[in-house]
Amino acid sequence: MDCRLAVSLMHEYLDDDLSKDQAIVLKGHLEQCPNCSKLFHELEQTDMMLYAAQHHSFAAPDELTNRILNSLPKPKKQQVWLTWIKQHPAVTAAAVFMLIMVFSSISIWNSDNQLVVKGASLDQVVIEGDTVIVPEGKTVAGDLTVENGKTKVYGEVQGNVTVIDGSLYQASTAHISGQVKSINQAMDWLWYKLTNMFTEVAYY
Amino acid sequence: MLEHMETRLAKLARKGDQRAFAEIVELYKDKIYYLAYRMLNNRHEAEDIVQETFLRVYKNLERYDEHQKFSTWIYRIGTNLCIDRLRKRKAVYSLDAEVNDQEGSDGYAMIPGDERTPESEFLLSETQTTIRDAIDSLPAKYKSVMILRYLQDLSLQEISDVLDMPVTTIKTRVHRGRDFLRKKLENKF
Repeated sequence: MDCRLAVSLMHEYLDDDLSKDQAIVLKGHLEQCPNCSKLFHELEQTDMMLYAAQHHSFAAPDELTNRILNSLPKPKKQQVWLTWIKQHPAVTAAAVFMLIMVFSSISIWNSDNQLVVKGASLDQVVIEGDTVIVPEGKTVAGDLTVENGKTKVYGEVQGNVTVIDGSLYQASTAHISGQVKSINQAMDWLWYKLTNMFTEVAYY
Repeated sequence: MLEHMETRLAKLARKGDQRAFAEIVELYKDKIYYLAYRMLNNRHEAEDIVQETFLRVYKNLERYDEHQKFSTWIYRIGTNLCIDRLRKRKAVYSLDAEVNDQEGSDGYAMIPGDERTPESEFLLSETQTTIRDAIDSLPAKYKSVMILRYLQDLSLQEISDVLDMPVTTIKTRVHRGRDFLRKKLENKF
């Protein structure tokens, strides 16, 4: 066997990559060639010494862990929050919707303690303090809506009369051609707001 | 078994679990420190490398491929940082030229090493010291391979994955590195 081939087989052997047949061939050569035998012995020693140099109890300084953990970028926290949102889009949407509903209804509810009068022909209406009066002989051509006030109808309304958080007095002379709605409770009022939302948007 | 645990930790850390990441640090800091210390022969630089390695791991958790061994991935990051550091040294000190008569040992060996060593190293035998010095005198491209092979106990295939080189190249380097060290250690046999 060529000595150069033997050397490469020696390395294969130390890599644990030598087949049994090749190992036998190599052994045969080593028995005949003192040079290769010496080299093999040295390589084997080197290999063993290198493995022995492994230092299993080699430890990094203790404070290094803290230094590593402290050096990590912080804004990752926000990302966690974002990740959760990405993973639960339906829950997030529902939560956001609920939040908006609650806040807007509260704010609408709170802002509505003033007298509000809505209608088609308000020049036919007389307002005295918190009382809205449709005097006798006058005609409101269309709907009339009163929020947070008393309503007294002596004349004619050619449409619906809606009273929110207030009272309605109809005199014997009154004539209301549409429906009369009286809304007092918050939930009724909310429902009214919701159902009228689109018509109101269309109006303004 | 161990692999599963590491991959699971990596997944948890990816979701923002700080404790999982701290466990990864505990599992690997000594190994990466040992690797870097052997590669660079300098305590402070080794600590820098460990810190930088974990920072990169943290930032790139999203990109970690779960089908790959976690150890391979982290060794790759650590080894590349060490090789970069060695390259920068080369650029700064221009110590490429081999020093006369000292076979294989180039100018790197002349950079004054950090005198302080980890406490556990004080009790090293003379032979151990000789081996360390021999490894230290290896040219960079053999050094990383030999350290991963012998000191980190990685298989040739694993080293090939870590360094992103064909196994045949790794083999050649192990063979040459082994022969290089044999000559260095000759008088110790």
